Amino acid sequence: MFVLYETPAGYAIFKLMDEKKLEQVDNLYLEFETPEKANKLLKLKHFEKFNDTTEALAAATAAVEGKVAKPLKKTLKKLLIDEVQSPLLVADAKLGTAIKDKLSVQCVYNTGVQELMRCIRQQADSLLGGLPKKEMTAMALGLAHSLSRYKLKFSPDKIDTMIVQAQCLLDDLDKELNNYMMRAREWYGWHFPELGKIITDNVAFVKTIKLVGTRDNMAAADLSDILPEDVEEKVKEAAEISMGTEISEEDVLNIQCLCDEIISINDYRTHLYDYLKARMMAMAPNLTVLVGDTVGARLIAHAGSLINLAKHPSSTVQILGAEKALFRALKTKKDTPKYGLIYHAQLVGQASQKNKGKMSRSLAAKASLATRVDAFGEEATFELGAAHKVKLEARLRLLEEGNLRKLSGTGKAKAKFEKYQAKSEVFTYQPEADNTLNVKKRKHSEAEEEESTPVKKEVKEEPAEEEAELKSEKKKKKKKKQKDEEAPEEEPKPEPEPEEAPTPAKKKKKSKKEQQE
Amino acid sequence: MGKPGFSPRGGGEGRGGGGGFRGRGGGGEGRGGGGFRGRGGGDRGGSRGGFGGRGGGDRGGFGGRGGGDRGGGRGRGGFGGRGGGDRGRGGRGAGRGGGAGGFKGGKTVTIEPHRHEGVFIARGKEDALVTRNFVPGSEVYGEKRISVETGGEKIEYRVWNPFRSKLAAAILGGVEKIHMPPGSKVLYLGAASGTTVSHVSDVVGPEGLVYAVEFSHRSGRDLINVAKKRTNIIPIIEDARHPHKYRMLVGMVDTIFADVAQPDQGRIVALNAQHFLKNGGHFVISIKASCIDSTAQPEAVFAAEVKKMQADKLKPQEQLTLEPYERDHAVVVGVYRPPGKQ
Repeated sequence: MFVLYETPAGYAIFKLMDEKKLEQVDNLYLEFETPEKANKLLKLKHFEKFNDTTEALAAATAAVEGKVAKPLKKTLKKLLIDEVQSPLLVADAKLGTAIKDKLSVQCVYNTGVQELMRCIRQQADSLLGGLPKKEMTAMALGLAHSLSRYKLKFSPDKIDTMIVQAQCLLDDLDKELNNYMMRAREWYGWHFPELGKIITDNVAFVKTIKLVGTRDNMAAADLSDILPEDVEEKVKEAAEISMGTEISEEDVLNIQCLCDEIISINDYRTHLYDYLKARMMAMAPNLTVLVGDTVGARLIAHAGSLINLAKHPSSTVQILGAEKALFRALKTKKDTPKYGLIYHAQLVGQASQKNKGKMSRSLAAKASLATRVDAFGEEATFELGAAHKVKLEARLRLLEEGNLRKLSGTGKAKAKFEKYQAKSEVFTYQPEADNTLNVKKRKHSEAEEEESTPVKKEVKEEPAEEEAELKSEKKKKKKKKQKDEEAPEEEPKPEPEPEEAPTPAKKKKKSKKEQQE
Repeated sequence: MGKPGFSPRGGGEGRGGGGGFRGRGGGGEGRGGGGFRGRGGGDRGGSRGGFGGRGGGDRGGFGGRGGGDRGGGRGRGGFGGRGGGDRGRGGRGAGRGGGAGGFKGGKTVTIEPHRHEGVFIARGKEDALVTRNFVPGSEVYGEKRISVETGGEKIEYRVWNPFRSKLAAAILGGVEKIHMPPGSKVLYLGAASGTTVSHVSDVVGPEGLVYAVEFSHRSGRDLINVAKKRTNIIPIIEDARHPHKYRMLVGMVDTIFADVAQPDQGRIVALNAQHFLKNGGHFVISIKASCIDSTAQPEAVFAAEVKKMQADKLKPQEQLTLEPYERDHAVVVGVYRPPGKQ
């Protein structure tokens, strides 16, 4: 039996002298307690050193992916000529199958081998002999650096990153645009307050200021490109009777600078949005068709990448973005949220308030299917997404009309939606239940009994307590009544003492009874 | 005024736009700002930087004008009310700089060794946990550095903030042992950007070795940059769930430190221990209760995790919570496959 052991410096192939030792997994480490003992069990047959770092890097990447690197293949072939048909122990099951396919060598991988590898690693210095420790560390360091650089360079989710960043920038731009816009309206409002009311569209407002400047020029300006006719007229009217303050030429110049800025940001935003749309359509066509590009991009951004989103179950997709509400609901055992980011999808928005939850669930189910097709499918079409969208729209119409028929039964009865009652109990998995042997079974039933008894107690206790409370209340009322009646005749002082005394006594009796039960 | 450059959501200083808005406000004062001041909003703006005039004062968005009326007393004027920019690093950095404030000059500071080897305490105006800088003259994440001269030799130390590092929090919380003496080899799972890793690399020193495993590519980028300067860090960008993928790089280690905040954290540590932790080696695990079960009581979660570890031959020896530095966190220290009792 041979053992393949990878090091940063090269491949080592050991010959296992005593195969029986491998069967005693738990005591294997005893054989490796000292270097001498270890050397007795394992003999270094061959050490294939890497020539340079590129070769080492190739070998390392192959090891990560579970493939057979070239130097390894060469080494194994050489070995095969010497001794045919002896199995090879490898540290990775995937690598074992790959070797078996390529070289038709029998490979073994099990817990025993795992333990053996661990032991070899422990005594690696002495087993490998000739290699100084320092050199090995240096090799590992260099290899680790180049491997991680390689990983970062060929990162698989770089396209997703582009979408995530674009979507985040879009949100930022919107916020900033809104800010700038409010500032512009506020600032120019000192000079011409009426304009803000007349022109509600932000871009038109800014373009007007840019074109006209102070309101004195308003009458002479031609605003037909920017504004509809009636609005233009209103503006011109308002400009003549405006109550705004006069501002200097310099002030207007500065306001117009701000307007330039707003217009340019707005242009950039449009450009960016087109880019995002194109990217989304190229990367996740089905998802985009279903939920729209903005919501789709937000979902991807929230999950981290398209692949990650595809790995989420649809119930998660449904409430993605509502984590805070979800965990709050879980903690307080209230109802969990019905929708997260998906709320802004067109299909959910169309539904009436009552049906929004149902719609978001259906949409999330389809969206997660679509995402999986986008992420792992071969061809890039949006057929599936479009087909699902049609189905969802039909379903939405049905829901809105309220003519739903039951699927089960005769189909004539109208479907009734009952509110789903979440069970707030948390069930833990009981491994004892897996075992069908008698001994365990009894234990399980015992555990059940134990669990069930306190519940009963609680149930019994509650009404008793309530009764007690009720009685005490009644007594108080009685007391009051008595007080009211007796008050005119005698002084009430001695009365309450005997009245109060029996109450705690009775209560005590009750609690004793409860304990007995 | 120059045209403000395009910098949405830029920082405080570099922002042309902010200054631009303030410009006229200041001018208003010069031209007899009395007219403006008549409106209640302007005066009120003093304290809140709010606008108020339009009845929209509650938004606090228009600090610029309010600032102007005050004669631009505030440096930033513009968007003070928005928060974002002022908050600085936010989040976990809440406690930052608190302990490190008083170390200017470095004359009054004395360094004492901590109970744990490789860790030191700087005693000055305020005490702080420090480690000896492995690469003098360079910082990793903007932490404070203290230079101390002893016998003509200058030694540099880096302040270790317990609010940013769970290991530091555990040390300050009084953990019995961290099992990372100088010269030891540590497998660090969940290395993130390498802030704590840099301190661990200080602690183990030039003879030691830190294998830093991090899955996220974004954080991995920063980690590699830290590892470039510190030759005792071996960066590994890989999923800690699959230790066999980095079996080529990692040798036997003395200690595993895990801060992965995953529901199956115990399993991850057990797998890595099976591959790389020597018999009788130790593990230090930081557990965040809400990452494992957000509904259960933290104490119950910790107890369940400890029980799981015992099943994987990880024998817990010590457990402590990280209050007041982190909420609902615990650190568990233990030993792997301790040698038999004979």
